[in-house]
Amino acid sequence: MLRTTLGKVLTGGSLSPKRVTAVVRAASSQTGKKPEQIEVFIDDIPVKVDPGTTVLQAAAMIGIEIPRFCYHERLAVAGNCRMCLVEVEKSPKPVAACAMPVMKGWRIKTDSEMTKKAREGIMEFLLINHPLDCPICDQGGECDLQDQSMAFGSDRSRFVDIDHTGKRAVEDKDLGPLIKTVMTRCIHCTRCIRFASEVAGVDDLGTTGRGNDMQIGTYVEKMFLSELSGNVIDLCPVGALTSKPYSFTARPWEIRKIDSIDVLDAVGSNIVVSSRTGEVMRIMPRVNEEINEEWIADKSRFSYDGLKRQRLITPMLRDNTGELKPVDWEAALLTVAKQIRNAGSSIGAVAGGFADAEVLVAVKDLLNYLGSEALCTEHTFPLDGSGTDLRSSYLLNNGIAGAEEADFVLLVGTNPRFEAPLLNSRLRKAYVHNELDVALIGPKVDLRYQYQHLGDSPSILQQLANGQHEVNKKLKAAKKPLIIVGSEVLARPDGSAILAAAQKLSASTSPEEQNWRVLNVLHKVASQVAALDIGYTPGVDRIRELNPKVLLLLGADDGAIEKSDLPNDSFIIYLGHHGDHGASIADAILPGVAYTEKQATYVNTEGRAQQTLVAVSPPGRARDDWKIIRALSELLGAKLPYDNLNEIRDRLEEVAPHLTKYGEAETANYFKQAQELSKGIKTQLDNSPFDVKLKELSDYFMTDSISRASPTMAKCVQAVLKQKQSKF
Amino acid sequence: MITTKILNLLFILFFSCQCHSARTVTCDRKMAHQTIRQNLKQVKPILSLDKEEARKRVLSLYKAWYRQLPYIVKQYDIPKTAEQLKQKLREEFTKHQDIKDVRVIDMLVIKGQMELKETVNIWKQKGHLMSYFKDTWEPKPTDFLSKFLAGKE
Amino acid sequence: MSYFGLDRFFTFLKTIKNYGGLKASLYKIYRMDSLRPGTLVGTDKFGNKYYENNAYFYGRNRWVEYAPQYGTDYDGSQVPAEWFGWLHYKTDYLPSQDAARPKYKWMMEHTQNLSGTPGQFMPYSTTQPKVQAWVPPKK
Repeated sequence: MLRTTLGKVLTGGSLSPKRVTAVVRAASSQTGKKPEQIEVFIDDIPVKVDPGTTVLQAAAMIGIEIPRFCYHERLAVAGNCRMCLVEVEKSPKPVAACAMPVMKGWRIKTDSEMTKKAREGIMEFLLINHPLDCPICDQGGECDLQDQSMAFGSDRSRFVDIDHTGKRAVEDKDLGPLIKTVMTRCIHCTRCIRFASEVAGVDDLGTTGRGNDMQIGTYVEKMFLSELSGNVIDLCPVGALTSKPYSFTARPWEIRKIDSIDVLDAVGSNIVVSSRTGEVMRIMPRVNEEINEEWIADKSRFSYDGLKRQRLITPMLRDNTGELKPVDWEAALLTVAKQIRNAGSSIGAVAGGFADAEVLVAVKDLLNYLGSEALCTEHTFPLDGSGTDLRSSYLLNNGIAGAEEADFVLLVGTNPRFEAPLLNSRLRKAYVHNELDVALIGPKVDLRYQYQHLGDSPSILQQLANGQHEVNKKLKAAKKPLIIVGSEVLARPDGSAILAAAQKLSASTSPEEQNWRVLNVLHKVASQVAALDIGYTPGVDRIRELNPKVLLLLGADDGAIEKSDLPNDSFIIYLGHHGDHGASIADAILPGVAYTEKQATYVNTEGRAQQTLVAVSPPGRARDDWKIIRALSELLGAKLPYDNLNEIRDRLEEVAPHLTKYGEAETANYFKQAQELSKGIKTQLDNSPFDVKLKELSDYFMTDSISRASPTMAKCVQAVLKQKQSKF
Repeated sequence: MITTKILNLLFILFFSCQCHSARTVTCDRKMAHQTIRQNLKQVKPILSLDKEEARKRVLSLYKAWYRQLPYIVKQYDIPKTAEQLKQKLREEFTKHQDIKDVRVIDMLVIKGQMELKETVNIWKQKGHLMSYFKDTWEPKPTDFLSKFLAGKE
Repeated sequence: MSYFGLDRFFTFLKTIKNYGGLKASLYKIYRMDSLRPGTLVGTDKFGNKYYENNAYFYGRNRWVEYAPQYGTDYDGSQVPAEWFGWLHYKTDYLPSQDAARPKYKWMMEHTQNLSGTPGQFMPYSTTQPKVQAWVPPKK
C-alpha cells in the first residue's frame, strides 16, 4: 500500500509543514535544533518560514489566500489544476503555488497582472468544458468553481464554439447509494482519488485517458464503498460528487446550521446539522483536530433520515388487551408514577447507547431517592479489580489524535475500522506517514492497511502478558506503543482477565514520554463513558439478580434484557426516541428526543465532554429526556432539585466536574494502581476465540435504533451485498 | 428609577462630549458628579413640578374616572356592574403605586386622561373595555410540571 | 260578508281544520311562525310537503313544509334539487311535470348540508408528515 505520498516525492522527500509539525511534535527530542528559517516576500510583505514550506502555505501565514482546486491541506499535493499559479519575480513562467517550496529571497506576487492573467486563463479552460447547469446543481451556492470564477475569472467570454461541437460530456458513474455523480461537471482536481487512496485506503478511484479525454472513475463497474466515502462529497470543489440522499432537497442559503456532536459511535465527531423548516436536511463534519479532523463516517453523515422514521411522538400505555395506545402526558406520567410507587425500591434502570449525561444523572438521582442502586448500562464492562472506579481502565487514554504519533499499536478484539472509523483513519495516517506497525489479536478483518495478525485466541494475549511472544520485543522496543482493547471482548465473561492481561502488558512497555498512555479502551456507544463516570454499573447482571418490579429503559434497544428476564408482573418503561426493540417490550412509552433535538452532554471514548445543540424542535409530544424524569419525580413526591438546563448542569458538575468542561478531554491516571488491583482477579482467560460483531462493511451501517430506522443505511447494506456478487 | 438612570447616562454622555470638544477641561470625576447633580435638578418637568402636584393630578384623574363609571356601564352595555368597574379602576391605579418618578407619574396621568376621553366619547368599543378584565386571557404556565405538560418553555 | 272581513275569519277556521285541528295548528305556528292556507302540490321522497297559494303575492305563494322528522331543526338545504327550481321560481313545472329533467342512475342522492355535524367535510393534508411515527406491532 501507499507509504510515501506524492507530496513527499514532489518536495524532494521533505514534508509539508503540517506534517513537519506533526512529526516534529512526535520526535521533538530527536531533532534537537530547528532548521533555519528563510525569508520570502509575498506582495512585498516579508515572511519567515521553515524550509520546505510551499508558496501557498507561506501566503496563508500572512492571510493571503491563493485560489486553488486540487490542493487540500490534508491530502497529498497534486498540482494539476493550475489555479494557484502566481508570479515569482525573475521567474519566466508563473509557478504553481501549492507544489513549489519557497526559496530564499523570493518575491512572490499574488496580485500582479501576470498572476491575474494566468488565473483568468485557467478559469477559461475549466469553464470551456464545465456545464452551465448551476441552477439545477446541488453544489450551487457552495461551489468553489462558482465562487472562484466570480472572484478570479475573466469578466468576458471568448467561448463561441457552443453551436459547433458542444461541451465535453462524460457518462455518470454509479458510486453507490450515497454519492451521486455528474461527471460532466468534474474538473479533474483528483481530490476524491487522493482521499480514497490516502485516507480511506480504498484504491478504487482513479483516472483514465488524458487531456480532454481524461475521466475520473473506478476503471471497472464498481461502487465506491467505504465507511468514509461521504467525505469526497465535501472534498469535491464542484458538483461532480454530491450527496444522493440530499440531492435536490435544499439550497445552502436556506439552511440553518447548528454545531453539534455525533452520537452514532463513541468518537463524538463534531458535526454541523443543517436544518430547514424543522427538518434535518443533512449532516456535515466540523473541523476538530483533536477528534475527527474534518472527516466524518458515513453512518454519522447519512443516517439522519432515520431521525424522521419510526419515531415515538406521543406517550403510550399498554391497555387491557395488550396493545400500546397513545395517551396524553398526564395520563402516562400518572400511570408510571403509580407503578413506581407500588414497586417501592424494586426499580431498575438500563441506559442505552444514546442516553445523555443529563438524563443519566436525573435517573440516578431519582432511583437513589427511591432507594434503588440498580442503575446499569446496556454494554458490559468488567467489574473485577479496579472495575470502573479508576477512569484509566475504561478510557481511550491516549486520545484519538494521539494515535497518530504511535509507532506500534496492538489491537485486542476490536475492529476500529467499523467501531470508530475516525480512529482507524488516524491509525492509517500514522501507518502511511509515520511508519506505524500494527498487530491485531482477534478475527482477521480488513482494516485497509497492513497489520500483523497474531490470531484470535486469548492464549496469545496471555503469552504476550507473560512476555513469551515474539511481538513482546517489538512492543518493548517501541517508543510510543499503544494497546487498544475493544469494549466488546471486555463484555465477555472473562473480560476482567483480558483487561488485566492488557494492563500487565502495558505496564511492561517502556514509552519514551512520561505521559504517553499505553492502555486504551475503545467503546462502541456514545453514552458509555458518561454513564460510567456518573456511576452506573456496566452490564445488566444486577437487574437480573434484583428482578425489579419496574424497569426503566433509557433508549436501551440492543436487547440486553428481555421481558423473559423479569418477573411476569413487572412494568417496563421505555424512555427514548425510536420505536425499536425496547419500545416493543415496554408497557409505557415516554417519548424523548434524539441528539439533533436536544442540548445535551456526551462524553466520548477518550473522556472528552461535548454537547449537542438543538437543531430542530422535538417531533409531536416528545420532551427532553431529563425533563420527563424531572416531571415524573414531582408526581412521585421526590421532586428533583433542578428545573432548567443550567440547574441540571450544575448538578452534573457536582457529580463529576469534567462533564461540563466542554471540549476538554479529562485524562485519567492511576494505571499502576489499577494494575495492582487487577492482580487479585481470579477469572481465567477461557479458550473461546475473540470475536467482534462488526467484521465487514455490511455489518457497519445498521447498528443502533437510528441507523436501523434509516432507509439510506438499508440501501448501503444492499449495495455492499450487491457488490459482493460482482466479479470485481 | 430607570428613567433616572437613563438621564444620568445621558448627562454623562453630554458632559463627556463637552470635555472632548473643549479639550482643555480635565475630566475630573468629582466635577462630573456635581454637574450631573445640578443637571438632574434642572430636569424639564412634564406637568408637575413636585411630588405633591403629581399626587393631586393622579387623584383628580381617579375622581374623573370614578364619576364616569356609572355612565360607562350604561353606554357601553357591558356585562359588568359599576361596582366591578370601580374595583378594576382601583386595580389599574394601584398597579403603578410604586412609581416615584414625577415625570413618569405625569406621563401615566396623561395616558389615563387620553384613555378616559376615548372611553367617554365612545371612541372605544365594548371589547376594548372588556379587555381590561382579561376574561379570555389564559395565564402562562409557571411551574415546571405545568410547563412540561403544556410543552412550553 | 267580505265587507266585515268575515271571509277571512272563515278561511282561518278552514285552515285550522285543514291542518288538523287547533293543537296541530298551534304547533305549526310554533314551528314555522305562520299558518297559511294553501294547496298541497307535491311531496318529495324525504317527506317535505310543497304548497302553493296564488292568493299570496309572488315570492310568498310557494312554500315548503319540512318533513316532521326534522322537527324544528329544518334547513334550506333539505330541499332536494328537483324541488329547488320550483320553489325558487326557476321553473313553473313541478318535478313530475318536467319531461326535460335529466334522470341518470349515476346521479347522487340529495344530502343536506352537513356542516356542523359529525358528517361534515374536514379538509386534510395530502403531504406526507415530516416525521413518521412508530406504529406498535399488533399482537
